[in-house]
Amino acid sequence: MKTYKLAAIALLHFCLLFILSGCWNNKDINHRVLPVAMGISKQDKEYKVILKIPEPHQGTTQIKIVSATGTTITQVVDKISMNMESSVDLLHVKVIIIERETAEQGVKDIISGFMRARDVSAKALVVICDEDLDEFFSKIKKTTGPEGTTLFDFFEKNAGWNPQIALTRIWMVYRSIHSYTHDVAIPLVKSGKSTMVEQIGSAVIKNGKMVGEINSDETLLVNAFNGEGIQGRIEVMDHASVLIISDRMEHKSKLIEQKPYLQSQINIKVVLLETRGDPSTKVIKKELEHLLTNRFNLMFTKFQTSKADILGLGQFYRTQISRSQLKFWRSKYYPHLKMDIKFHINIQNEGYLKTSSD
Amino acid sequence: MYPENIIASTSEGHWLAILLGVIIHFVVISVYMKGLSFFPNRNIIGIYSSVGKGTALFFLIPVLLYFLMVIIITVRAYSEIITIVFLSNTPLWAIMALLLFISTYIASCGLETIFRTGILLAILFLPLILFIFFVSFQNVDWRYAIPIDGNFQFIKKRDYLESFFAFSGGYLFLGFVQPFFSYNRKNVLIAAAVLIPFFFFSVYIPILTFGQATASTFFLPFVVAVDAININWLMFDRVTMFFIISLIAFVMLFLSLVSWKTIRIIEQFIPSIKPVYMLISLSVIIFLFCLSVPDWKDVEKLFWWNTILRFYVLIAIPISIYLIGIHSKRKNQHENI
Repeated sequence: MKTYKLAAIALLHFCLLFILSGCWNNKDINHRVLPVAMGISKQDKEYKVILKIPEPHQGTTQIKIVSATGTTITQVVDKISMNMESSVDLLHVKVIIIERETAEQGVKDIISGFMRARDVSAKALVVICDEDLDEFFSKIKKTTGPEGTTLFDFFEKNAGWNPQIALTRIWMVYRSIHSYTHDVAIPLVKSGKSTMVEQIGSAVIKNGKMVGEINSDETLLVNAFNGEGIQGRIEVMDHASVLIISDRMEHKSKLIEQKPYLQSQINIKVVLLETRGDPSTKVIKKELEHLLTNRFNLMFTKFQTSKADILGLGQFYRTQISRSQLKFWRSKYYPHLKMDIKFHINIQNEGYLKTSSD
Repeated sequence: MYPENIIASTSEGHWLAILLGVIIHFVVISVYMKGLSFFPNRNIIGIYSSVGKGTALFFLIPVLLYFLMVIIITVRAYSEIITIVFLSNTPLWAIMALLLFISTYIASCGLETIFRTGILLAILFLPLILFIFFVSFQNVDWRYAIPIDGNFQFIKKRDYLESFFAFSGGYLFLGFVQPFFSYNRKNVLIAAAVLIPFFFFSVYIPILTFGQATASTFFLPFVVAVDAININWLMFDRVTMFFIISLIAFVMLFLSLVSWKTIRIIEQFIPSIKPVYMLISLSVIIFLFCLSVPDWKDVEKLFWWNTILRFYVLIAIPISIYLIGIHSKRKNQHENI
């Protein structure tokens, strides 16, 4: 009796081995391809998807570009998967590249699809490409090094990211589609001549549609405003070039007769790098203040005309505008917003050389 | 799922909705424990039976039904969540079988095993869950918490009533463990108090990350918020996986506890069958029932039906125990005089 029981338990535990492996319809890693970048363009109701797949090949990595068209993105991916010798797994897609025209038509469906299916991580970066996607990818293929992740490294904060590049992930774009007060900027790139990609500026996205464009200097201000940190950026003026080492902001928001007023002060600490002639620190400070203020005001009027609240200014009025009214923030309040921005510059040090203070 | 219910039930002032739930939870626990303290070393099955067979039937049958429903819903809902979040190729029945098998095994080993497993799981997974809770503040924009003025509109909402599942699951076991374990009433209340921030954070983290308008479009808001976490120095890309897996471990424990309680009740009415066989047949029945639930809409329907039972359990059981307790105390005093 006892041996029977023991045998039964042993058999049961043996069966458990099969469950414990946790594999179901599992495809081994050598039968999967893991694209790192995905390009999407829409041509008369048909999506064209281009995948950039790094393939290990005798010790080095080779880049393979595959593309197909179809009515939905999943269908296209499925098609590619069908035509390739191994199955496509989107788990590691890090960068989504959308063609400019597609972005102008709106990316709501694409982004919602990614959020729903979770094949693609919600953290993947979104980029808009200012040229034909086929051309972009074929150029990339030539310039990419053996690691195959260059396109991703370009945007990664601990790698090739610079403060004048917007950093926007899928979930942020999704938030901008639904949020009442928050829009996003998406980096706008094209293939470069000597470097792989060239950053042109940022696309202004409102409710999932591209409505405008700002250059990379203006993107820097947006990043500063959103607290991304703009350290390491070099500003060049007539008399000097400086390195920004820290930035801090204060805001005061008011609502007078249904008209929003915002007073902002941005404190920036800089280090002097290079001078032309013999300017005093006072002149440099004034010059930098002037430069940034002008640039900001110019950019802000651009935002207001396109009614896109990239800076998330509506967030400051959440205490003053009721939720039902906040719905109309972009159309009713935002265009009338009076913004008074002040830059306060501190020169932390002047390097090894002395500079006169006045 | 708790955040989803709360976010769906009101568009502003979520703290009020959560606070009300927490307060009701506290009141229920204290009344229940007060009632139980009249009967040292006896569980609620014994208490009801001592009053009369009719009373026992009247109170315990709904509890039994409630437990059965809870097991079915939990197994079904979590296996669905597992397929949505990561195992998209695995068939549902395999996941459900695994969930049920392990929890049945733990339950068959008795209460002591359940509690020991609980401590083990807490050591293994609680640090992980706490870590994820802290890093999930990464994308938070505190201004989304505003407007904070709330109203009581949410009480009538179906979603809000359903959200009580988060509170009503745990506390009943206090009435079952009595002869095996004793506990300090104060410690239980402290434990319940420690849980409060988690209720708040689980709702507010998605709201602060995405804003109400966006968060209300998600099916599992907290999971999506965890998904948006980006940690450069961590070698794992998706923290969500860890979160869900540790959650599943606790869900298995919860399932085994509930099925153990169910068996205790059935044992009271049909004492002739051996509990282990009963447990196995119970999980087979539950498994078959889970298989027959075709889609998520039906899970939601079950959830809603269970809400009625839940409120019965939440209100009737503590109060009845309390009243019986006072009654028997008086009787004892009379006899002593």
